[in-house]
Amino acid sequence: MTPIVSAATTPIIEARGLGKSFVVKRSVFGKAQASVGAVDDISLSLMPGETLAIVGESGCGKSTLGRLLMRLIKPTAGQVLIDGLDVTNISHSAMRHQRRHVQLIFQDPYASLNPRMTIGQTIAEPLMLHDIVPANQRAKRVAELLEMVGLRPEQASRYPHEFSGGQRQRVVIARALASEPKAIICDEAVSALDVSIQAQVLNLLKSLQTQLGLAFVFISHDLGVVKHIADRVAVMYLGRVVEIGTSADIFAAPRHPYTQALLSAIPVAAPPSQQRPKAARLTGDLPSPLSPPEGCRLHTRCPYARPECKLVSMDLDIEANGHANACAFWRELPAQAAEIAREPRNPKLEQLFAAFEAMAATETAAKALQTVTKEG
Amino acid sequence: MSTLPHIHQDPSARSVRADNDPSTRVLEVANLRVVFEDETRTVTAVDGVSFSVHKGRTLAIVGESGSGKSVTSLAVMRLLPEHSARISGSVHFDGRQLLDETKSGMRSLRGNRMAMIFQEPMTSLNPSYTVGEQINEVILRHRDISKKEATQRGIDMLKLVRIPSPEARYSQFPHNLSGGMRQRVMIAMALACDPELLIADEPTTALDVTIQAQVLELMRDLQQKTGTAIVLITHDLGVVAESCDDVIVMYAGQVVEQCSVEDLFSFPQHPYTVGLLGSLPRLDEKRDQLVAITGTVPDMANLPSGCRFRARCPFSVAKCAEMPELMEVSAGHLSRCWRTPLQDLVP
Repeated sequence: MTPIVSAATTPIIEARGLGKSFVVKRSVFGKAQASVGAVDDISLSLMPGETLAIVGESGCGKSTLGRLLMRLIKPTAGQVLIDGLDVTNISHSAMRHQRRHVQLIFQDPYASLNPRMTIGQTIAEPLMLHDIVPANQRAKRVAELLEMVGLRPEQASRYPHEFSGGQRQRVVIARALASEPKAIICDEAVSALDVSIQAQVLNLLKSLQTQLGLAFVFISHDLGVVKHIADRVAVMYLGRVVEIGTSADIFAAPRHPYTQALLSAIPVAAPPSQQRPKAARLTGDLPSPLSPPEGCRLHTRCPYARPECKLVSMDLDIEANGHANACAFWRELPAQAAEIAREPRNPKLEQLFAAFEAMAATETAAKALQTVTKEG
Repeated sequence: MSTLPHIHQDPSARSVRADNDPSTRVLEVANLRVVFEDETRTVTAVDGVSFSVHKGRTLAIVGESGSGKSVTSLAVMRLLPEHSARISGSVHFDGRQLLDETKSGMRSLRGNRMAMIFQEPMTSLNPSYTVGEQINEVILRHRDISKKEATQRGIDMLKLVRIPSPEARYSQFPHNLSGGMRQRVMIAMALACDPELLIADEPTTALDVTIQAQVLELMRDLQQKTGTAIVLITHDLGVVAESCDDVIVMYAGQVVEQCSVEDLFSFPQHPYTVGLLGSLPRLDEKRDQLVAITGTVPDMANLPSGCRFRARCPFSVAKCAEMPELMEVSAGHLSRCWRTPLQDLVP
C-alpha cells in the first residue's frame, strides 16, 4: 500500500489536485443547490525541514487548504498524502494515529487552550494520547518542552489566563511539539501578537526548526513575516494557486500581477523621502467566491486585464527553476523594475539594533545557565 | 490649496474653521491623564500626554496594545464612561475646553465638527438599518436641511469615497457590503458634515493589504480636498511611514517620542522605537533572527519606578531609575530618554 521511497525524497505532506467545495444552499429535501469552491485543484508538497508559506487575502481559501492538509476536513476532489500514506479516505482511528506527524497552531492562542486545564496538563495530553512517554516521566518531558519554548518549568501548574498572548502562543507551540511531529501547520500563528512579541515567537519557530528539523506550512497574510520565515511561497487567489516559487524568486521577481500588487500594497517603514513609487494597484473588491469570474479569476481587478483574459485557463506556467505562475500573458507584462524597496538604513541605527540582539542573547544565555545550575 | 496670503492668528481663536493656514492648530491636548479606578486597583492608562493636531495634517499615535493610544482618543472625544474614568488636563478644540463641555455640547460637536472611525466596521454599523438611513441620521442631526437634500448629500458622500453604484448601495444593509466597502461607508459617514478633526482608530487593521492601500489612499485624497486634520491611531509603522506627517510613540501610557515622520524613520531617538523598528520583518533583507525586545510591557496597575522601558532597554544606566522628562533632542524631535542623542552611544 504505502509507496516505499527513500525518506529524503518523501514529502511529509503532499496534495494532488486537491479541491474542496462547501454547500451553501440546499433544497427542502437536502439536495445541494449552490456551493462555493473554497479550494480548487491545488497540488503542492512539503519537504522535510522546509517552510512553505501560503499567502493570500481573506477568503482566498488558505485556511481551508491548511485544514485539508491535516485532513481535518475531507476534500471533495484530489488526494492528501501524509508521510507517504494516502489519508484521503482512511478511517478516523488511522487518521488520529497519522495526525501525530502533523500538528496545527491557530491564530488565537487563548481560544486554543482549555481554560480549566493547567498548561502542564494541556501539554501532557498529546503525550498520553499517543502514548509517547510513560506516565511517570511525563512531568519531566513537560518541563523539557516548556524550556524548549522559553517558559519556566515551574509555570506548568498555572492556568492559561495567567499568561500574556505571546506566552500563550508559546504554550500552544509546546503542545504541538509534544507529539514529536514532522511538520507544523501555522495558521496565522503570529498575526494576533504585537510586533515585538511577534519577533520573539518567529525567532523561536526558526530556532526550533533548526534544532528539530521541523517542516512548517506557514499560512499568513503578512508578506513581511513570510519573507522572513519561508523557503518557498505559494500565493493564492480565490481558491487557486496563482504563483509558487522560492521565497527569493517570488520577492525579487514576482511574475503574476496579483503577487506584484500584493507586494506593492505593503506599507514600508521608511522615511517619506525614501518611499518608492507604487506599482499598479488592484481595483475594487474581491469578487464573490460563489460565482468566481470566468477564465482568469483576477481579470475583474487586474491592472493589465485584456479581453482574452476571460477565456484563458489558470494552469501554472512552470519556468526552468521551478518558479510557476498562472498568468497566461506574464511574459508580455511591463517589466517590474527593481520592485522591492531598498530601505536604506543608517549604519549607526543598525548598531543600535545589534544592542537589542545582544541583550536578547545574554538573556537566553542567563536562562540556560539558571537551568543548568538548578539541575546540577 | 489657498493661494491667499496667510495671516498669522492666535491658534485658540474661534476663526480656526474659516482659516486656511495649514499651521493652525485644530486640536490641542495638554497634560492629559486618564485614571481608571475600582475597589482593588488604580490604573493610570494615560499619563500626561500632550500633542497638537494641525489643519490638513495627519498625526499618528503609535504603540502596542495597552499603551494607552485608544484611551487617549476616547478621552478626547469624551467617550469614556464617566463613572469609572477620571480625566484631567486640557483638551482644546476650536477654542473650547472639551473636558468642561456639557453632554449636549459634546453631542453637537461629535459627528459634526469632530468625527471618529473605528477598527471593526461591522460592529460600528447598525445591522438593522440601511447604509443610507445611517448616513442620513448624521446629516439630519447636525444640518438644517430636508430629507431629500440629505439623501442627495449621502449619495454624494458614497460617490466621494468611491463606492461603485452609490445609488444602489445607499439602500442596502451593511451585511451586503464587503469589509473594505463598510469601512468606506464609515469614512463617508464621518466626513458627511465636513469635520475639522477626524480620529481614526486602527481604520485599516481589519482589512487586507490591497484594500488597506486603497482606503489609505482615499483618506489622503480626501484630506487634500477638505483639509481635515486626522489623528491616525495604529500599531503598524508601515502605515505611519506612508500616510502621516507627525507622530507620537506611546509606551505604558506615556509619550516616549514625538517628532515628524521623516525624523522618526531616519533616526529614532528612543530605545523603544529603535526596538520596534528592528522587530519589523523587512522585505528587502533576510535576517536569521529578528531583533526582538526582551520581556513584556509592565503591568499598568503596578508600574516600576523611573523609566518604564528600563527593564527591557539594552542602554539603561543607573540614572534611568529616575523618570526622564520628554526632552528635545534636536529641533522638533522630543524623546523621553536620558541617553539621547542615541547616535552617540555607538562609534
